[in-house]
Formats: sequence, C-alpha cells, structure tokens
Amino acid sequence: MTTSFFHPALIMIIGACLLPFFRDPFRKPFLVLVPLLTFINVLYLSMHPGTYGVLPFLDWDLTFGRVDNYSMLFGFIMALMAIIGTIYGLHVNNVWHHVAAWFYVAGSLGVIYCGDFLVLFLFWEMMAFASTFLIWFNKEEGSLAAGYRYLLVHTFGGVLLLLGFVLRYQALGDLSFVHMGEESTQMYTWLILAGLMLNAAVPPLHSWLPDAYSKATAAGAVFMCAFTTKTAVYTLVRGFAGFEILIVLGVVMAIYGIVYAIMENDIRRLLGWEIVSQVGYMAAGVGIGTALAINGACAHAFAHILYKGLLFMGAGAIIHATGVSKFTGLGGLYKKMPNTMIFMIIGGISVSAFPFFSGFVTKSMIIAASFSEHYLVVAFLLTLVSAGTFLVAGLRLPYLLFFSENRCSETTFAKAEDPPWNMQAAMIIASFFCLLIGSYLPFLYDMLPHAEVAFHPYGTYHLSETLQILAFTALAFYFFHKKIGPEAVISLDLDWFYRKGGLLFLWLAKYPIQIADNAWGAAYRVVGLNSLMTTAKFWSWFDWHGIDGVVDGSARCVRAFGRRIATVLQRGQIQMTIYYTATFAAVILIAYVWL
Amino acid sequence: MDQLLTYPEFPHLLSILIFLPLIGIVPLLFSANDSFSRYWTLIITAVVALLSVRLIFGFDTSTAKFQFAESYTWVESLNIHYQVGMDGISILLFLLTTFIMPFCVLASWSYIKKRTRTFMICLLVMETSMLGVFVALDFVLFYILWEAMLIPMYLLIGIWGGPRKIYASIKFFLYTLAGSVLLLVAIIWLYQNNDSSFFIPDMMWQGYAFTAQILLFLAFFLAFAIKVPMFPFHTWLPAAHVEAPTAGSVILASVLLKMGTYGFLRFALPITPDAAIYLAQPVLWLSIAGIIYGGFTALAQNDMKKLIAYSSVGHMGFVTLGIFVFNLQGVEGAILQMINHGVTTGALFLCVGMIYERTHSRELLSATGVGKYMPVFVTFLAFFSLSSFGFPGTNSFVGEFMILAGAFQFDTDLGKFPYLALAAIPGAILAAAYMLRMLQKVIWGGTNNPDQSWQTDLNAREIVTLAPFLFFVFWIGLDAKVFINMMHTSVAALLDNLHIHQQQALTAADLILR
Repeated sequence: MTTSFFHPALIMIIGACLLPFFRDPFRKPFLVLVPLLTFINVLYLSMHPGTYGVLPFLDWDLTFGRVDNYSMLFGFIMALMAIIGTIYGLHVNNVWHHVAAWFYVAGSLGVIYCGDFLVLFLFWEMMAFASTFLIWFNKEEGSLAAGYRYLLVHTFGGVLLLLGFVLRYQALGDLSFVHMGEESTQMYTWLILAGLMLNAAVPPLHSWLPDAYSKATAAGAVFMCAFTTKTAVYTLVRGFAGFEILIVLGVVMAIYGIVYAIMENDIRRLLGWEIVSQVGYMAAGVGIGTALAINGACAHAFAHILYKGLLFMGAGAIIHATGVSKFTGLGGLYKKMPNTMIFMIIGGISVSAFPFFSGFVTKSMIIAASFSEHYLVVAFLLTLVSAGTFLVAGLRLPYLLFFSENRCSETTFAKAEDPPWNMQAAMIIASFFCLLIGSYLPFLYDMLPHAEVAFHPYGTYHLSETLQILAFTALAFYFFHKKIGPEAVISLDLDWFYRKGGLLFLWLAKYPIQIADNAWGAAYRVVGLNSLMTTAKFWSWFDWHGIDGVVDGSARCVRAFGRRIATVLQRGQIQMTIYYTATFAAVILIAYVWL
Repeated sequence: MDQLLTYPEFPHLLSILIFLPLIGIVPLLFSANDSFSRYWTLIITAVVALLSVRLIFGFDTSTAKFQFAESYTWVESLNIHYQVGMDGISILLFLLTTFIMPFCVLASWSYIKKRTRTFMICLLVMETSMLGVFVALDFVLFYILWEAMLIPMYLLIGIWGGPRKIYASIKFFLYTLAGSVLLLVAIIWLYQNNDSSFFIPDMMWQGYAFTAQILLFLAFFLAFAIKVPMFPFHTWLPAAHVEAPTAGSVILASVLLKMGTYGFLRFALPITPDAAIYLAQPVLWLSIAGIIYGGFTALAQNDMKKLIAYSSVGHMGFVTLGIFVFNLQGVEGAILQMINHGVTTGALFLCVGMIYERTHSRELLSATGVGKYMPVFVTFLAFFSLSSFGFPGTNSFVGEFMILAGAFQFDTDLGKFPYLALAAIPGAILAAAYMLRMLQKVIWGGTNNPDQSWQTDLNAREIVTLAPFLFFVFWIGLDAKVFINMMHTSVAALLDNLHIHQQQALTAADLILR
C-alpha cells in the first residue's frame, strides 16, 4: 500500500459541506472544481488498483476502497457524470440542491468502491436520502408526495438489504461483498437480491422510477437517471452474475418498459420507462453471466448513463424553458430550440443503436452474448425491443417535441428558447462522449472488466442487421405515427398498487395504528409514567427517611448517648466522680479476678 | 520482587508525577495573590497531565507486571517500603486523574471567591494522594494515602460547600473512615501472615484459609463498597455531592468513586479469590439493586446535582456488576465504564456548576428553558446526557454493552437463564428516563419558565473546559479498542489466576460432596 488513498466520495462530501460557505462569484468555479478533483482522483485510483481504506470498526474490518476492474469502470463514468450533471445545474441558485446532488454522487461512489456490506449499506442509504431532496426541491405540484413515496420505497428496499446482510453475517460470519453462488442460495441471498433489484427498478419493484424521475427538478433528474439504477447494476454485476432469474426479469423489464414508453404522454416519464427498458438489457446481461455478457452489461451501463443523461438534459431544457412536460402541450419546437433538438436527436440515435453512436457498440454485446449462450428467445426479444427503442426515443420523442404540429399554447411557444450556456455545455460534453464511444472503440473497450474477450461490432452482418431494423422501424413509424400520437391519459400499471400502497400505508397510519397508538399513549401516560414517577418518588423518600435515616439515626444515637453519659457522669461534683471511678475500678478488678 | 519492572529511560517518572503537585504547594504558601494561585495551580496540574502522557509511550501492553516501578525502604524496623508501580488496571485510572485535575482548576476559576489559595492547596494535596492510591504497592503506603485523601476532600466540602456543608462533610468523613477501619485490621492480619511484609503483590494468590478469606473479604468489601458507593451504603454520596463545590463534585465523581472499584480489582479479587467467588452472587445482586434503585431515586430528584449523584449509584452498580461476573468482557467493560463515568459524570457536574454560577440554584425548575439563550451550553449538556444513558456511539454505550454481555455470559456459562443481564436492563431504561427528563426541562421547559433572557452563554474558558470531555466521549465511543488494549493483558492475567482458584474450589467442593 504505497500509493496514497483518498476516497473520491470524501472529496464530494467535503465539497458539499464547504459549498454553502462559497458565495458568488466563487461558487460557480468551486462547483466545477470539486467534481473535477473527484474525477482526477478516480483516474489516479484507476492507475493503482488494490485495496485501500481498511478501517477497523468494532470487530470488523471495513473496506472503503476496493479498486479493481469493475469499480474503476463505474467510478470513471460516475465521476464523469458528476461533472456533466453539475455543469448542467450551474444555474441553479439553491445551494442545497447542489449539496444534495453531491451527497447523492458520494453515496454512489461509496457503493462502487466499498468492499463489504456494512459500508455498502451506509452509502446506499446516503444515496436514497440525498436523492429524495432532488425531488423535494422541485416546486411542482405532487413533488412532495412523490418524494415521500420514493423515500418510502427505498427505505423498504434498504430494510430488505439490511435484513439480508444481517442474516448472511449470522450464517457465514462474513461481511465482505463478494459474488454469491447461485447453487447455494439462501433466504438472505434472495433478500439482498430483492433489495438491489429494487434500486435497479426490476419489475415488480419498478414503479417508483417513472413516478419519481418525472417529479424531480430538471437538474436533479439528470443526476437521478444516472446514479441509482446504474449503481444497482454495478452491485448486481458484482454479487449476482450468472443468476438466471435475472435473464427472465431483464427481458420482461426490457419489453415492459418500452411498451409503457410508447404510450406515455410525459417526456420524463417516457424517458423513465425507457430506463426500465434499457436496464432490462443490463439485468439480462448480468443474468447470462459470461465474460462477454458482463462486459456488455458494464459497457451498456456506461453508455446508457451518457445518452440517457443527454436525453434527460434535453427534456430538462424544454421544461426549463416552457414549463410544460406533456407532449399534448408541446410540438413544433424546432424553430425555437434548434440546439436542444440536435442534442436530443444525438441522444435518441445513441439509445437506438445507430452505427457510430454509443448504443451500437454496447447493446449488441449483450445480444451477442445471449446468442452465444444459446438463449435464442432472449436474443430475439431483446432485438425486438431495440426496434421499439428506436421507435420511442429515436422517432417518437423528437417527432412529438420538434416536428409534429404545434400543440403549444401561445405563451408556451413564446417562452421556448434554447437553454443557458451551461446546460448546452453539459449536453455538448455528453454528446461528444456518445459519439466517441461509438466511433473510437478502444476508449470504452479497454476499460471493460474482462479484457480477454474481444468483440467487434462493426462486422457486416451486425451493420446490415441494425440498418434493416432501423429502416423498417422508420417505415412503420411513417405509416403509423398518427396512431402513437400523444394522449392525455395516464397509463396504469403496477404503479396503481404503488400509489395505493402509499395511501394504504397512510390510512393504516392514520386510523388503526393511530388509534392504537393513542390508547397506548394514554396507557403510557396514566399507568406507565405516573406509576413510574410515583415509584421513583417513593424510593427517593425511602432513601432519605429509610436508609439514610438508619445512618443519620445511628449517628444521632451515638451523639445522644455521648451527651447522656456526659450529663450523667460529669456533673462536676467531686464526690460523684470519685464514686464512679471507684465503682468502675472495682468492676474491672472483679472481672479480672473472676474471669 | 519479580513482579516489578523498572523504567530505565525515566526512572522516577511515577514519583515525579505523584509529588509534583505536593511540591507545587510551596510557592502558594508564600503568596496571598488569588490570581497567582489560580494560574500556578493550573500550570502544575497541566504539567502533570502532559507529563503523564509519557506513561502511555512507556507502557508495555504485553505484560501484566507492575511497570514504572520504584522501591525504597521507608521504615526499616516494620519493613514498610515506598513502593509504586502500575499495571493495565491502574494506568487508565491514573491518567484519568491527571486529566481531570486541570479542568477542576478551570471550573473553580470564578466559582471559588473566598480563600482561593487554600482551595488550590487542597486540590494539589488531593491530586498527590489520589495518584498515589492508584499506584501504591505497599499496603501501608496505600492506607496512608487512602485516608489522607479524606482531609482535603473534607475541607473542600466543609469550607467551600453549600448551605448544609458541615453536615455533609462530617457525614462523608465519618462514613468513609468507618468503612476503612476494618481495612486496617485486614492489613495487619495480612502483614502477620505474609512474612511481615506489606508488599501487595506478595499477598496475591496466596490461598489463605477459607474462613480467613471470608473475613478479609468482608473487611475489604465494607471499605470499598462505601467508597464506590454500593447500595445500601450510598447515602453519603448525594449529601456530599449536593454540598460540594463543582471541583469537589467532579473529583468525587470522577476519581474518588473509582477507588472503591479499583480496590475490588486490586485487593479483593487477587487476595481473597475464593471468598470473592463464594460471595459473588450477593455482590452481583447488590449491584443490580444499586442500578435499579439509583435509577428510580434519580428520576425523582429536582436537584440536578442530586440527580447526577444518584445516577452515579446506578452507573457504579454497572461497574461492580462487571467486575463480579469474572469474565473478560465484564471486567474490561467495568474498567472502561470507570473511565466513562469519570469523563461523562465529571462533565455533567461541570455543566451543572456552570448553571449554578449563573442562577445560584441547582433546582431543575430554576434552570428550565435556558436552551433558547444558551445554545452552546445545552449542546454540551445534551451530548453528555446522551453519553450518560449509554446512547450508541458514545463511550458509555460500549462500556455498558460489554458489561451486559459479560453478565449474560456469566449466567449462560453456569447454564442458567440470564437473569442478571435482564435484571440490569431496566436500569439502562431508567437512565434514559431521568436524563431525558432533565434535558427536556433544561432545554425547553414548559410554559411557566422563569425569565432566562439575561443568561449568557458559555465563555471561552468554559468551552475549553468542556470540549476535551466531549472529545473523549466520542473517542471511546467510536474506538474503544485503544483503551481496552491497554488493560487487556493485566485483566486477562487476573482472570486466569482467578479461574485457577475457581477450578480448585470446584474440585474441592466435588471431593467434599463425594
């Protein structure tokens, strides 16, 4: 351990703690500086793999810095995204928004570099709580409730996770965060998996995602779309590679997400559903578990963070400018927001896996892995979903926002304009990386955890297949685009249970539990507290009058006895004194002689 | 004498530490200036505190022998020696004492207005005798210092105390003196049965006759139980605490009470192991009674000092509980809890002293609602209160947890249901109840709060006084290993010897039964 280790998350935390003390004009440089330092630190760590930051705590050795192939890749992208997200949010004046975002990033980095479950849990909860504030800071109606729902769900996930860790520790006496064998699964394995899956938004634990992300602040959603689910994917890669149930769930996710995305009317809900769909690919990749599949899952997570960040940034720009987030109130914006349009199209074609854009070189890895492992149905369904993805993000989204007939109200249209420079700068950075990943393969491929697996996306077959899919999807869109226009309805799914679950929780809390609690409180006051205080008063009385009474009483007795002797024996009459002395001497003499 | 290890690098370190305060009196004798005596005493105690840090670096944690030892003949005809040395059990208590003293001086800075010079002399004499008690290895030396402590303490309470100071000081003096009279008898018996030597390590693990051990143990027990104080010998404590000045209360709580429990570990267990094992159950249940009883009586108090005094009865009950379960967790937890109690209760008395200086009352009702006007003060108070009832993350949590774990293990080792640990738990809950009650009243109070708007928050001197205590609250709370490592070898050696005796006793009982 010759290299010095400084935890990247610590830089973010210290930065967040110092941030409120910076005022303009120093705040903006500081805002850029801290994530930049974090990023440099991450790069430095990537050159020095190893285990650092092992701290003894009680009986355990906690590992804060496990730097290996996995954590290097994810640390890199998260730190990069922290820079992009912070630049995107530079114009936000609420300093606590930045503080929350940085704590959120710190939580994610902490999870990525942790080596045991205790540290993981610590940072996991830090992520959940910090990100909740990114929802609450949005002044929109319903954000507060959405934030509470989000927090409730993640607390539930945290409890599952903690339960799993504790049971596992009891069974194995081991806290280290390592891969779990599928053959020796126990109750705790499933609990941990469920806790992690909740954060990865795997159905049926997914409803929080579109709900929360659509209610977050414009800048907050950019952070949220990157960190929570992808950190969860990272933990799944680490702990659950090769769990076949993840293949099934992943495919279900991919299809489920895209179907809802097609029907969605809110920009960010649509993008949220698409996250579900794309994370489905990653989950499937983790489930397949071969070197190629793991590479694919990691690479896709990497690319996904960038293009989905880009799309959320575009969506945020539109909401920032117009204040409208529904397709039914937007459209024809190409005249007013040309730059935003370009960025969103870049994001859209990246996610749709256009050649030379990032999705093309990452998504295909997972599909190729499922072919080579003979999961033909899986490969087929995932290919099908990629057509849907293009339909949604590459065609429907830009069409409805920029090209279709103008559904904007007059004020909305008048307000629409390209966002401030910092938002555009962030989008330029993200677009650049989307293009870089797709065009210059070694950039991403050299970072992948399994370097021994070679993958060549630019083969003739793959290219022609992709172009066919894209072309036919475009053709279909041309014919049917009227059918998938925006409709002002809410598409219901398990979301219903999620919302009603929250209400049920509230009802339970309000009525039966509150009534029981009131009764218990009354009992506590009347029976418990009063009797406790009465008992206490009694013992206090007893202490002074009982125990201390004996002590003081004996002292008083001795004193009284002494006085008595003095008054009896020392009256001052000389005859009496002589008489007592003679008697006493006689008693002693007799006692000595006789005994 | 093979139990002694000298320290060639700094051969007279212990003696210098012990006698420096006593020598420090000399300039005070010739100066009537109050301000000089304050600063001088602060300097002396601070130098002792800093110099005592040297002990940590010279201390060898791998041996249970007495280190930094010094040995000189004192009275040749009676074979009395000046012998000192420390092991893992005494080092932490010694350091606690040197650490506490400068803060006692700081706490008396503006509190003591009359006879400041005399007060400071008392503190210095007190320090010498307290430090000596923890390292004395000759029983006569020990006994002299043990009794010598009473005099400055008597003066501290009797001159600078509250309204009932005469009552409290005489009670304190007589009660503790009465307890230690039998200790002298025990010392003489041991002298005669130990080749006319007063050397304490020679008396350990000698296997004296069982009846003799029982009698010796009872003599020890009376002396130490009064000092601890264990229920039902505790009533001198609230009286003394309530009347004593702040520095006196802090010394009483932080150091003097520890001498009782230290006595159990140093004398009662090694010299009379069979009796200690035989009589463990009653002592344990007295400890439990102290924990619960102290909790209840503390809950009923409206005088803050009395409340903390009674809470000490409960906390020290935990310490004796830990000692008499005779396992590593319990004893180590008990020693740690001695330190914790010294830090936390000392700090709480300092807090109450600060309130008293402002309101001239220790009544809870006259201090209600100061939170709004003294935010820094109540922050400190809140942390120390949390620590006092063993909030996780603070020092007492670790100590109490270890003791409870030890108590649990004690019963399970005997194949019994863990009654002891279960019986002690209500004490922990009561602790939360009385501490939070006090905290709630002091910080918020109710609608009938007296006008506190004239209160001034802590000044720099007071913050400096409290801050180090807070540091230790969290240091021990978060990383107790450092402290436990220092005592571990000595405690393990003590318990090993004890278990040998336990085993022999069991075999003997087995033989008799057959």
